[in-house]
Amino acid sequence: MELRRRSQERRLISLVPMIDVMLILLVFFMVTSSYLDLDMVPMLERQDETATAPSVGGGDGGGPLFVRIGADGTLRVGARSLDRAGFGALLAERLLRDPGLQVLILPSGHAPTQALVSVMDLATGVGVQRLRIVRLQGAP
Amino acid sequence: MKLRRAPHRNEQETIVALIDVVLFLLIFFMLIGRMDATAPFMVFPSTARTGQDLPAGGATVAIAADGRMALNGHEIGPAALEDALAEAVRRNPELVVRINAHRDAELRHTLALTGRLDEMGVKDIVLIVTPKEP
Repeated sequence: MELRRRSQERRLISLVPMIDVMLILLVFFMVTSSYLDLDMVPMLERQDETATAPSVGGGDGGGPLFVRIGADGTLRVGARSLDRAGFGALLAERLLRDPGLQVLILPSGHAPTQALVSVMDLATGVGVQRLRIVRLQGAP
Repeated sequence: MKLRRAPHRNEQETIVALIDVVLFLLIFFMLIGRMDATAPFMVFPSTARTGQDLPAGGATVAIAADGRMALNGHEIGPAALEDALAEAVRRNPELVVRINAHRDAELRHTLALTGRLDEMGVKDIVLIVTPKEP
């Protein structure tokens, strides 16, 4: 008797489950991904710690420039209230005299975060290298 | 005129093209998409022209306009946030903390958090901003 081997059928792996999984992953990534272009501004860098504590200067004299940010975001340098353009001009003028100018920012606790970022942005934009945020702490 | 019928393509061949396209899209979204922990509330970061590239990794603290906070996408109270961050710093002293504060969030929230992080010994704290066209 002659036994014949059955011809082996070529088995194909079904691709449908793989496509299902890939589509689920695709939809997941499409839905969960955010495409915001985000940057950052440094708030604390440890190397700053070695710097000596500055003495607070006024507005127009030598020493650091001290700027206060009010609760409504207004800027005050000494007794003068300044808009952003005026503050930028003052920074540029002070930088001409003192390229290593230090700017101290004292923001009100009720001021919006954007006000602080705008001041830091303006100062960095005109070339200030030394920026410090001063925070008043309540007595323990 | 005799019109020729287009050569018949088998089903397998069609599916392979589909897989190629889907894989391409999948890889595209995986690479391009930012899988940052999002906040459970709306946060519109401040805008700045002089922002630098945002470092990857670290812990992200989101601050809503009304002062609510979230750590890595989960809303959390101030005390629990401090505990969680202190633990994270203890485990990884080089931890970068990214503060994603709403532009209208009062600075008493943002700066108080920065101060606490400073006391904890966090070496790098950055504030997330969105770039503004000059």
